[in-house]
Amino acid sequence: MIRKSIKHNGWLLNIIGLIIVIIYLSPIYWMIITSFKSQSEIFQAVPTLIPKDFQFNSYIDQFGSGLGQMTLNSFIIAISSMIIVIIVSIPAAYALARFRVKGAKLILLFFLITQMMPTTVSLAPLFILFKNLGILNTYIAPILATSTGGIAFSILLLRPYFLSAPKALEEAALLDGCNRFTAFIRVMIPVVMPGILVCAAISFLFAWGDLISSLTFIRDQELWPLTAGIYNAIGRYGTEYNYLMAFGTIAVIPVIILFVALQKYLVKGLAAGSVK
Amino acid sequence: MRFKGNTIGYLFILPAVAVMATLVGYPIVYNIILSFQDVTLMNLGSGAKSFIGLDHYKQIFSDELFMKALWQTVYYSVASIILQFVIGFALALFFSLNFKLASYLRGLMMVTWLVPLTVAALLFQFMLSPSVGVLNYLPMELGILSEPIAWLSDTNYALWGLILTNVWIGIPFNMLLIATGINSLLKEVFESAQIDGANWFQRFVKITLPMLRPVLLIVLMLGMIYTFKVFDLVFVMTNGGPANSTEVLSTLSYRYSFDHFNFGLGASVANVLFLILLVIAFFYIKMTRDDEVIE
Repeated sequence: MIRKSIKHNGWLLNIIGLIIVIIYLSPIYWMIITSFKSQSEIFQAVPTLIPKDFQFNSYIDQFGSGLGQMTLNSFIIAISSMIIVIIVSIPAAYALARFRVKGAKLILLFFLITQMMPTTVSLAPLFILFKNLGILNTYIAPILATSTGGIAFSILLLRPYFLSAPKALEEAALLDGCNRFTAFIRVMIPVVMPGILVCAAISFLFAWGDLISSLTFIRDQELWPLTAGIYNAIGRYGTEYNYLMAFGTIAVIPVIILFVALQKYLVKGLAAGSVK
Repeated sequence: MRFKGNTIGYLFILPAVAVMATLVGYPIVYNIILSFQDVTLMNLGSGAKSFIGLDHYKQIFSDELFMKALWQTVYYSVASIILQFVIGFALALFFSLNFKLASYLRGLMMVTWLVPLTVAALLFQFMLSPSVGVLNYLPMELGILSEPIAWLSDTNYALWGLILTNVWIGIPFNMLLIATGINSLLKEVFESAQIDGANWFQRFVKITLPMLRPVLLIVLMLGMIYTFKVFDLVFVMTNGGPANSTEVLSTLSYRYSFDHFNFGLGASVANVLFLILLVIAFFYIKMTRDDEVIE
């Protein structure tokens, strides 16, 4: 009975669902649309859902004042961090799934706890460490600092992927004349590719969204990523919300692109990665 | 097939362990040492730091500001989690109904979880603004508010401005994990209960809740861990103000270390925060023991 009535009212549920999602995502729409408004339109008594006249000034004006450089910095930091995560995590996850390694449980526990550690615990020690290594005020400091979250996440996420990959595949590859290393590269990596994509995307987004590492370890504003730029702009622009929202929009575009491209894998991976 | 020669295994793990030991393990240990020392910007580079034992810990626990920050961290976390959890649970139940767009729409909501916290903070600062914020405009149009609330600059509301923002970010996380749990519930159990004539509410209390209990506890504990260590949102939106009304443990720790350059004191606050999280993590790990990761 109930089943039937639900099926029957399917269109109603679809519409309610759609309304929920529209309301829920409306802040993002609001941010993007505000970045195209003029300052006077933002401050008029009745807010407009669609700008009366589309303006690109908030983007054009700011590209001169460092927005382009900051976007580039964000990409440099996030892509480098992602590459480190991928190179380091894939073999480790594979080894923890397939080899008898002493202390494996302890290592996994350590990674799990790493994910729960507050950033503030490591900031002061890393500040001192980076100072002694002479890498304060370089891209390297935030790249290294943001890679740890991605490494822990990726290893915990990828290990079950490797565990569930059929062992017969490796055996066949070994019989075909592969050694363990080439079997890993040629056979195992393609099998767990969906997991690797999620790890790459998530570690990119970790680093892309990081604020405090860059703010703490980089003094030179020329090297700041978008997030640090936003933090600074809030103080500088005050209530020039079209400028601020343009900043936010640019920082959110890669997130949306990645999300749309990988949605199917991401949603599944995020669920698995956060429980494990 | 387990390989006999384990050398390759160790070689494969080595880079990850080396990086994590240097960038996570070492800082944890160093932070504990720091908290027992008197370290300022002056003696940071030199070796001359004096051990002062538990002085920092005695100091913070008799410090009103620390106790206020601790209380506000708890308040912020509990309020955020109750709201996120209830809304997330309701949405998970709704999207578990059998309609065409359900899983697509549910997936779409996840995008907010990936938005950089700095951007979410900026966006809500705008939306909560007393002069132009839609979150003042709409309630006033609807007659819920008679005058705008200075969400982030009024000491009575500032913490709630942050909670509101955090709830928006956290809903999809709760929803997704609970939905995963619901999907793994046995459909037959539901159907036989329907035949027995149990109504919606009876089914929810007698079947859904008890069967989901482990998942729900895990979601609550994970949510607690992630919320309790909040930093970016507070740092960007209020930086602990006005008049310390939104100061939380992580921002207080940062303030001591990087505004006052009292690294020892900052470290001790961070360690208290970490210890609280470890206690929650301990229960979390105990609960998920059956999980393969920590078998």
